Amino acid sequence: MKRLLFVILAACLVVSLGAPAWAVTPQASERVLTAASKNRIEIGLFYKGDVVHLFGANPVPGSDLIIRLTAQKEEELKLSVKGTFGPFWMTVRQYAVTGIPFVYKIHASRPIGEIVSAETAQELELGFPAIKNRMQMHLIRGEAGPNDADLVFQGILKIKKEANLYNIEEGPERLTITEGKLFSHYFRFPPAATEGTYLVESFSFSNGELVGYGKDEIHIRKVGLEAWLTQTSQNYPLAYGIGAVIFAVCAGLLVGVIFKKGGHH
Amino acid sequence: MEIYLPIAGMSINLFLVVGIGALVGFLSGMFGVGGGFLLTPLMMMIGIPPAVAAASDSNQIVAAASSGAFAHWKLGNVDFKLGLVILFGGIAGGTIGVQLVKILRSLGNFEFVMKVVYVLMLGLVGTAMFIESLNTIRKSKAQPSAAVSAPSEAKLGKLFAKLPLKMHFTRSGLHTSAIFPFSIGAIVGVMAALLGVGGGFIMVPAMIYIIGMPTIVAIGTDLFQIVLTSANVTLQQAWVNKTVDVLLAFLLLLGSTFGAQFGAAVGKKLKGEQIRILLAIIVLAMTVKLFLDLVMTPENLVSLAPAKGGGH
Repeated sequence: MKRLLFVILAACLVVSLGAPAWAVTPQASERVLTAASKNRIEIGLFYKGDVVHLFGANPVPGSDLIIRLTAQKEEELKLSVKGTFGPFWMTVRQYAVTGIPFVYKIHASRPIGEIVSAETAQELELGFPAIKNRMQMHLIRGEAGPNDADLVFQGILKIKKEANLYNIEEGPERLTITEGKLFSHYFRFPPAATEGTYLVESFSFSNGELVGYGKDEIHIRKVGLEAWLTQTSQNYPLAYGIGAVIFAVCAGLLVGVIFKKGGHH
Repeated sequence: MEIYLPIAGMSINLFLVVGIGALVGFLSGMFGVGGGFLLTPLMMMIGIPPAVAAASDSNQIVAAASSGAFAHWKLGNVDFKLGLVILFGGIAGGTIGVQLVKILRSLGNFEFVMKVVYVLMLGLVGTAMFIESLNTIRKSKAQPSAAVSAPSEAKLGKLFAKLPLKMHFTRSGLHTSAIFPFSIGAIVGVMAALLGVGGGFIMVPAMIYIIGMPTIVAIGTDLFQIVLTSANVTLQQAWVNKTVDVLLAFLLLLGSTFGAQFGAAVGKKLKGEQIRILLAIIVLAMTVKLFLDLVMTPENLVSLAPAKGGGH
């Protein structure tokens, strides 16, 4: 049944050749045909993250696959580094950090180091060391420490991993390849993955050389009450504040009427 | 069941938020206090960003205090003139407080300062309440005279009354200086912005013991100024820091409303000093937890600071 599903999907993919969702990098000679179970995720009132299943056809049977999820937007982070002040821990210096992806997840059929050389991984930005090399930071407050580059990067990794925004999984458990050609896997989008366009890029490697490439786009947006509250709070903060106060007073008075006790404070 | 908080930018268990609101509402109903000083730290403990926790708590306080204020106003327990003097102080303090939050957030030390102020404030209030209720229990056993520390408090009140800018407050039956009510309003206003508290636990004793207001007028006037001071803080936090999560405030209100009804019923069955010593223990436990947060090595030395305004 599963195999039949892959065959049908592969057939659909062949029919949809020429769709603008993918592009071929200069190095790649073949297209990795892919399809996502959904291209739009909506953040509603009861949103708790989502899962997108992805299916594809490997252009060179038996080749290795590395699939990467990133966000289109670049992040500019302001990071606080804590240090001791007497017995207390408080922010002692701050860095502005750029070049760090907002989200970075990789599924690989084998460990990345076994699929490609360090140079290729660096060039295609595959793996955390490549991200560290891309990171740029400059001190905006306080005095720099000797190991700050490492401290800051490890700190970012921890924050991102805890929010389930960064993750690398290497092995067949997460990336199933049937008969060396048809593959399927899924990416979990955590609640912290905010509105924006996300890219799923599929790289196919044979003997360490890039032989295929494919790309899908996933769009996340807030809808309904969530969208309205976010947009109003950001674009019309004064009106939002007045609305919040009026809403609170009305809710409070209503509660007072319901319980007829004058509420509490 | 998860619910997505749009301003906090996170998904959280609906029952956890409502439950925390109910717990604090229960305690506030039982002890007759606001509970803002318990609510903000508890929200931080479940992962709500501190600035969003404080600002949304202010919004919830507007709702929680408004029905009480309305009821006291109808009963004639609000000294509007004195309330307005305190309110001017509260608005000045709240406005300064919101700007202070903005600066501290950009410096990356808002959480640190917030916790230090909480530790100092809760430590003082908790210790004083613990000692006072312990003494009351001991004295009630030994059948002592009723006089406690009233003479020194009266002296303080007389001293403040001698300050210039004297005004007559008919409802409270007082002829005193406007400087102290304004100042205490300003201090509570700063704390409302910084900590997300209503400040009743400072304001009411100050009104009764230092300004010399009748207790019921002090409570009515306090609720009146809490609604307007918290409304000002909510408005400015939304405007300047964009940290008010209306959905979070609504869920907290929902929980606290029901919790307060049960708390009030339980509170009636307990003696005053028993209630106070229980509250003192809760407050001191919270103080210890926050103090440990300040001195223990953090799990991650790196944290995100808001690049611009906005809670997420």
